[in-house]
Amino acid sequence: MAEISTFQSDPEILTRIAALKIHATRLVEGLLSGQHKSPHKGSSVEFAEYKDYSPGDDIRHIDWKVVGKTDKYHVKQFEQSTNLKCNILLDASGSMAYQSPFKNSIAMDKADYARTLIAALSFLLLKQYDAVGLISFSDRVTDHIPPRSKPSHFQPILYSLAQTQFSGETRLKHTVEELIEGLPRRGMLIVVSDLLSRDDDVLSTLKLISSKGLEVILFHILHPDEVLLPFDGDIVFESLEDDPPVGLDPVEIRQKYQELIQDMIQHYRHHCPSLGIDYQFTQTDTPLDQVLRYYLLKRRSLFKA
Amino acid sequence: MSLNFLNPIYLLGLLGLSLPVAIHLLTRRQQTRLRFSAVYLLSQAQKKSIRRSRPNRLLLLLLRCLALAFLCLALAHPLFSMADQSDLLPDQPTATVFILDDSYSMGAKSKDDSLYKNALNILDSFLEKMPGTHKVSLVMASDPPRVLAGWTGDTSDLRKQLRSSRPGFQTTNVGGAFELAMDLLGNGPEGNKRIFLLTDLDENGWREEAFPSMENQRVLVRVLDFSERQSVRNQAAIESVVVSQEFLTHSRMVRIRYTVKNLSPTRPLNSANASLWVNGNKQSEETLSLKPGELLTKEFTFPHLGKDRLSGFIKLSDDGLLTDNKRLFSYQPDQRLKVLLVDGDPRGVSHQNEIFYIERAMNPFSRAVSDIEPHISTLAELTSQDLLRFSAIVLCNVRQIPFGYEQELERFVSQGGALMITLGDQVDPRAYNEKLGGLLPVSLKTINQVNRNEDPFRVRAQASRHPALKVFSGKMLEELEHVRIQTFFSLEPKPGRTFVVPMQMTHGEPLLVESDFGKGKVLLYTTSIDRDWNNFPIQPMFLPWVQRWIKYTAQSLDAITRKDLHVMESIELGDNKDDWWVESPTGKTYRLRTINNRLPRFEETQTPGVYSLYSAPANEKTDSQETVDEERTLYDKRPLSAIPAGGFTVNIDTRESTTEKIGESKVRDILRGVSVDITHQPDLIESASLDAGFPLVTPLLLMVALALCAEGWMVRKE
Repeated sequence: MAEISTFQSDPEILTRIAALKIHATRLVEGLLSGQHKSPHKGSSVEFAEYKDYSPGDDIRHIDWKVVGKTDKYHVKQFEQSTNLKCNILLDASGSMAYQSPFKNSIAMDKADYARTLIAALSFLLLKQYDAVGLISFSDRVTDHIPPRSKPSHFQPILYSLAQTQFSGETRLKHTVEELIEGLPRRGMLIVVSDLLSRDDDVLSTLKLISSKGLEVILFHILHPDEVLLPFDGDIVFESLEDDPPVGLDPVEIRQKYQELIQDMIQHYRHHCPSLGIDYQFTQTDTPLDQVLRYYLLKRRSLFKA
Repeated sequence: MSLNFLNPIYLLGLLGLSLPVAIHLLTRRQQTRLRFSAVYLLSQAQKKSIRRSRPNRLLLLLLRCLALAFLCLALAHPLFSMADQSDLLPDQPTATVFILDDSYSMGAKSKDDSLYKNALNILDSFLEKMPGTHKVSLVMASDPPRVLAGWTGDTSDLRKQLRSSRPGFQTTNVGGAFELAMDLLGNGPEGNKRIFLLTDLDENGWREEAFPSMENQRVLVRVLDFSERQSVRNQAAIESVVVSQEFLTHSRMVRIRYTVKNLSPTRPLNSANASLWVNGNKQSEETLSLKPGELLTKEFTFPHLGKDRLSGFIKLSDDGLLTDNKRLFSYQPDQRLKVLLVDGDPRGVSHQNEIFYIERAMNPFSRAVSDIEPHISTLAELTSQDLLRFSAIVLCNVRQIPFGYEQELERFVSQGGALMITLGDQVDPRAYNEKLGGLLPVSLKTINQVNRNEDPFRVRAQASRHPALKVFSGKMLEELEHVRIQTFFSLEPKPGRTFVVPMQMTHGEPLLVESDFGKGKVLLYTTSIDRDWNNFPIQPMFLPWVQRWIKYTAQSLDAITRKDLHVMESIELGDNKDDWWVESPTGKTYRLRTINNRLPRFEETQTPGVYSLYSAPANEKTDSQETVDEERTLYDKRPLSAIPAGGFTVNIDTRESTTEKIGESKVRDILRGVSVDITHQPDLIESASLDAGFPLVTPLLLMVALALCAEGWMVRKE
């Protein structure tokens, strides 16, 4: 209940984000028409082009008029607007529950930041009549809301977000293996995580999803405390997951720690594009609209290209 | 196994450990706990960080405390030993007699200092650790053994006394010391009776007959043998030094004959240096080589015309025991004796004078090379002479002494002067018998004369033990047979008078009569001292014969001076109207006096050296320091009026120098009947003592340095 009470679905943010549109870079299959273009050529109202018939093509799409004129079999192809089926994967592990000890920090808590981000994305997608689903996971799937495109679907998502308990270890691979069969063959998968896991297979797991045909967007969220380690003094760091506590003076290892974090970010930033994954790193002191705007603009430019 | 501290007061410094602890607690930063997400990254960062070895503050604190603790421990001078001392200091009360061998052989060099010092250290630690319930007493084993301290539980005074003690110059008498120890134990307190003997097991000290019977005695004897700690071998000792001076030569060579013994029965002694020191200056030196066990006699000679007393020593090059490398001597060259020759028959031609031959015999070269200085006087001049200036008076063929002069002569002789009377044709026997009746023990009877065709009288030539004649032997005695005596006085003993006849003629008539009168001597020569009645003055023997008799009767003081005593040997001084004063080499002065007609004895000869003898009137007084006994009193200095009267030397008894050690079985045999434990490694025992064992100062200081270096390095890293 504490989590619910802390959840704030800021209307101002939601309205600001509503001005932006997500333009998927790939055509996705969908039942609902929308602003997304389907990559699949099929029966639609808007003709796209002809292509030579090849066995297996639906004979209903053969343009018999062209056959009569040219005696060649051509199949009509249509550009069809489809609605997107998007699953949002929320890392609900213990590490996401980190709360800064600095009371006057302008940075949001990671959990709140992730919830807001997901709510905004969900709202945007639902407003475009895309289907949105939410999967929360830690070492296993803790909550699963299948994608729906009804605007009212926003409420269950909000509710799920509000009641998500952040605890346990991050096991993305295990989760994906559990979900992979149930995921649609087309669509989008948005992963919101701090990626703080000993599991080195995050990229290979995401590659598995990407290779299935899903467009993967990875939001890598870290609190500034986790990037900069701004603490001082003798501190016993107790893990939010299952790691043993470590007592040290952060000053001694700050530099090395920052190097490790930056290495991790660079690692994802470098490898994700080659796997067809959109990687977006963000700190929780970055305004959400700025992050989303930047990201969507980037997506649009890619789409246009 | 034990750990002892020489300066335990410094252990209080360990309280200072609270200082770094307090500083640590006061400056300790509060440790906070924080729930964090990327703990595994922190761990990785900590492992990879170069500064991950930054010191733990606790480790720093530990190092600082260790440095301080090591420093305090080092200052406390800890000594570690593996030895167990439970058998030395049992729980039950004990009555322990420590016998400390303080003979001079214990002065042999050891690694630290000397065997005696080693023994003293161990004894001191025993005494220090001995609780009050344990009673101890101490017997010193040098001859004569003595009890230094009776039964006591408080050893502090005894320890103080021991600390300043040194080995003596005496030999060892372990047997006597055991006798004293057994007496002490017999009258001592209850408890386990024990005897601890600290010695070098020198064979000389173990004469079985000196030991008391130890049968059926419940005594534990523990012998701590220090001989193995001797670091340098005792190679040689000077056994004796004899000084003599050539007689009747221009140079008056002094001969110093000394005997050196190679103490090793197996090893030769090469290139040993022997030097002669006279009156503080090195006179001469030479290099000796001795075969194993050899006793070598060598001689130093040097001319000495003076009459001053010589004192010095022969010194060998240093070896393991210095005491026996030096032997002192003292020599008083013959004193100049003034002799008054009274010529009773002077003639116009000198060689016809009665005293012609005797004068030349006394001073043969008419120069001051002889120590007899004759003064010639006629009978008429006699009364004007001051007799006290002379040591001896010779009346040569004097008809009769001046009227009333016999009393002067008697006083002269009774005070120590010598009177020699030679007869002749001028002599009036009746006057002699009347006036000199007190001085002469015999009466002159008749003149015996041989005719020309008769055989002359001869002297009985036989070796004599008389001090004046003992040097004449062999060829010189044969020469005596050549003496022809044509005329002599026959004598008749006076009743009740004692005299000796050192020389007589072949038919039994005395040639020479010697008698004492007071302190002096009277000689009567029954024939003439010139050639009128005999031919003795032209015999070679005449000269030494005259000189010896003059010196003998004048009682030359070298008789005492030439005495060479052993340490602790007493000397009986002659009868003296005045008091004797003896000045020891240590500067102490003793006054000796005759009590109840007992001749004074001097017994305080503990120190080798030259003891000077003085004579001073009995009424002389100076501040008395300490009365030793009725006969002897100890003074700071001799009275100003004291007259030098010679001296004597005291040297060590070299029997103690022997390198032979008594075997363990022999010791057990001598001490049969009691339990004997012999330890040849007193180091192990020593480690039970406070100032013995392995010193840990250096390792601890190294630890301090190490801890400080480590601390500095860690702080610098921080």
